Amino acid sequence: MKELTAILIVAIAAISAIAQVKVAPLDIKERTLPNGLKVVSLRDNSSPTVAIHVWYNVGGKNDPQGKSGFAHMFEHMMFKSTKNMPNEKMDRLTEDVGGFNNASTWDDFTNYYEVVPSNYLETLLWAEAERMANLNVDDANFASERDVVKEEYRQSVLAQPYGQFNEYIGSLTYTTHPYKRGVIGNLDQLNAAKSADARAFHSLYYRPDNAYLIVVGDFDQAQFDAWTDKYLGKVAKPTTAIPRVTEVEPAKTKEVRFAKTAPNVPFPAVAISYLGPRSDSPDMPALRIANTILSGGESSRLYQSLVYKQQIAQEASFNLDNKVDGGLLYLMAIASEGKHAPELEKGLLAELKLIQGKGVTAKELEKAKNQLIANAVRAREDNDRKAVAIERAIAYQHDPKAVNTDIQRLQAVTAVDVLRVMKKYFNDNNRVVIYYTAEGGAK
Amino acid sequence: MFRTKNLFISLCILCASVENISAQEQPPAPSAPKSVKIPGVTEKKLPNGLTAAVIERKGVPLVTIQLLVKSGASAEDASKAGLADITASMLTKGTKTRSATEIAEAIEFLGGSIGSGAGWNSSFVSVTVTSDKVSQALAIMSDVVLNPKFDQKELDLLKSQTLDGLTFSLKQPSSLANYVASKYSFGEHPAGGTPDSVAKLGRDDIVAFYNANFLPDNAVLVFTGDITPELSTSMTQKAFGVWKGNFGESISEKSAKPPKERESRGILVIDLPKSGQASVTYAKSLTAVGRKNGSYYAAQVLNSILGGGYSSRLNYEIRIKRGLSYGAGSSFAWRGAKSNFATRIQTKTVSAAEVLELVLAEIKKLSDNSVASDELVPRKSVLTGNFGRNLETTGGLAGAVGDLYAFGIPTAELNAYVSNVNGVTESQIKDFAAHNLMGGDIIIVGDYSDFKDDLAKRFPNMKVDVIKAADLDLSKDNLRK
Repeated sequence: MKELTAILIVAIAAISAIAQVKVAPLDIKERTLPNGLKVVSLRDNSSPTVAIHVWYNVGGKNDPQGKSGFAHMFEHMMFKSTKNMPNEKMDRLTEDVGGFNNASTWDDFTNYYEVVPSNYLETLLWAEAERMANLNVDDANFASERDVVKEEYRQSVLAQPYGQFNEYIGSLTYTTHPYKRGVIGNLDQLNAAKSADARAFHSLYYRPDNAYLIVVGDFDQAQFDAWTDKYLGKVAKPTTAIPRVTEVEPAKTKEVRFAKTAPNVPFPAVAISYLGPRSDSPDMPALRIANTILSGGESSRLYQSLVYKQQIAQEASFNLDNKVDGGLLYLMAIASEGKHAPELEKGLLAELKLIQGKGVTAKELEKAKNQLIANAVRAREDNDRKAVAIERAIAYQHDPKAVNTDIQRLQAVTAVDVLRVMKKYFNDNNRVVIYYTAEGGAK
Repeated sequence: MFRTKNLFISLCILCASVENISAQEQPPAPSAPKSVKIPGVTEKKLPNGLTAAVIERKGVPLVTIQLLVKSGASAEDASKAGLADITASMLTKGTKTRSATEIAEAIEFLGGSIGSGAGWNSSFVSVTVTSDKVSQALAIMSDVVLNPKFDQKELDLLKSQTLDGLTFSLKQPSSLANYVASKYSFGEHPAGGTPDSVAKLGRDDIVAFYNANFLPDNAVLVFTGDITPELSTSMTQKAFGVWKGNFGESISEKSAKPPKERESRGILVIDLPKSGQASVTYAKSLTAVGRKNGSYYAAQVLNSILGGGYSSRLNYEIRIKRGLSYGAGSSFAWRGAKSNFATRIQTKTVSAAEVLELVLAEIKKLSDNSVASDELVPRKSVLTGNFGRNLETTGGLAGAVGDLYAFGIPTAELNAYVSNVNGVTESQIKDFAAHNLMGGDIIIVGDYSDFKDDLAKRFPNMKVDVIKAADLDLSKDNLRK
């Protein structure tokens, strides 16, 4: 990986002579503690705050069998009590001193993060070690957080006109891989979860050798390293093996179609979904460029065609749902008033055929690169965003340093690469087509 | 962020709570807090009356440019609700020399995007680009502001997109509740328009609104990020120097008709069948508390206690303690001379009445009892911390400065925010709640059949007025078709 990168950098230096604003590399320091915890730090003293992220290599795909949604529900428990902290102590140490905290569960990973005034760094390192080593899970907390998660499900899936549609895209495209369950899971299976499951889940996955600590902001390196050793270095490394997902999603060989309905759906929607490559695939940069050309802004192909010229859709996009074991590539559109799903499908597929047939222009390629580079600059605007960028490099490239080679990889993409990946992943026999309309046929 | 002495106080609270749990290990105490420099605003008025304001910050090669026009939905007639927003949105849909597609193409080629729209108090056009692209972005921005074409075909498309967007929003419980509250409780009209008003807007309305409001002396061009005051001023002169016209004295904001003093109106239910969740809204129009008067900071601190942030009382009682919602909160929407207070909570439909009871109890508690300092101090830190973090991005900084200009408040207030928040006292909050928060409206949006009986049981003496979502007309005084 590193050798390849070096070659790319040389190549890029030549290409980008017309230079662009420089995206300065993040000067990250990496080390691994004896208990297996990997630590990434980036010092930036421009503001007296610090972003602390703890990234665990466990996500929705690791839900116990028959308990889909469990990894996410467990995430909520990490804000409850530990041996040395009462419930909601994390809020006292962050929110109450002018910071904030949150966490999110993804298909492949779970992250816990806080931004605090930098004089609280040591306190928070202690607290993160505390919930890695000493989490309590009691029945009362477990029951009340399960209710919260059910409300989260209702709010994001049931009360949103296209909430169920979004869930269907994953659940109907995957047949075998646990990605098919979705991170939020379902209400019945959440009811089956017990507090004992949570304790077991914590001891299986929440351990130093399955985590990264990422700290960005205002700190003294030697002091930070000493605190990390003192608090996180003391968390014991279990001897048990970490279970990993082994299911492999088979390639698709024929088109599969679904028609789904839900209440309160204002306009018909269509998704055309395909299996994509693993997140670390060398095809990803070209797919990201294609993604931007097809749906990056109002000058993009899908907006111009379906929304602006044909006026059949109010929204049309090509989406790259990145996942470690193989993500989703899907075209999606929501109809405008009086338009119907078959028109959307036809319009989306026509744009796909066009890019597969004629490729992209040099100007489109350059525009897409400009957009992605500007996004990368915006993604480094504050300490928390930098920590997120490092986290994503860890999750999807398995290397925090990949955060610094991202732009080179994008710059190296050619029109030929884009054409190649668009032909490789999309054909008439490997797609899932989903129509989503109002229950009862009413508009 | 802005560490001041309140941090020491909150620190001691922290120590106290730890001492109570003696068997436990204590978290390491924080080291001494650091202070932060609040960026200064350099301001210059051009000969045509346009103000250029810049906050320079190096480090990240990004610049946000935001043109703020000090007229928004408050300057439009209720019958033309949505006019300000449609007018601002039309600016990027074609100029005398560039088509809508060419504008999008040009700005996106620079790696940026251009956004425009209007809220209640102001209209804006905004773009964020890397700092090497500022002059090209500014050229596009001045073209869309100075030379809009207001093409009929583009207007037809924008209107149909806006109407589709409204159809979508009106299917979503808490968003539907907002639309209802703006009319029913706040005596205003929705800034985004109603299906009826948007459908009727014509090109003439838009041209007239543009001509009356998009004038250099009614506007401020804000630059934030990696750019010097000298460069931004000269670029502004070059790009906007030819802008002509005179807005003159700004008329005081169109007074939204204050809802009449009245008896409690009971509970308004918008019956949205199979709604997934119910939205519970307590809405109160504060006709005497505006952004420009002294109670602004008391209101902010009060809201931080009641419904601003994770550990606020509403979220604690409704989510943390009882698991009845994913998040319960409240907020003030600010106008120059008044404000609108509303809660925003979604819960499973069968819990709507229980949540309403909790909301009413928390509001009453604020006016009955003083807030203890061990609650007050951290809730102030939440405000000052959020404020500081928001200023860390060029977009957040431009938004905060733009807000001050929109209300005609000197930008020096940016520097006074922390001390103003910290100056709010317990008694101010109690008085504020007692005088301003009681007697609000109750609006529940959701599948009525799921909470009808429980509502009647818990509130036997309250009148319940039910409107079916399908019969709702946001343009009518009685809200019915």
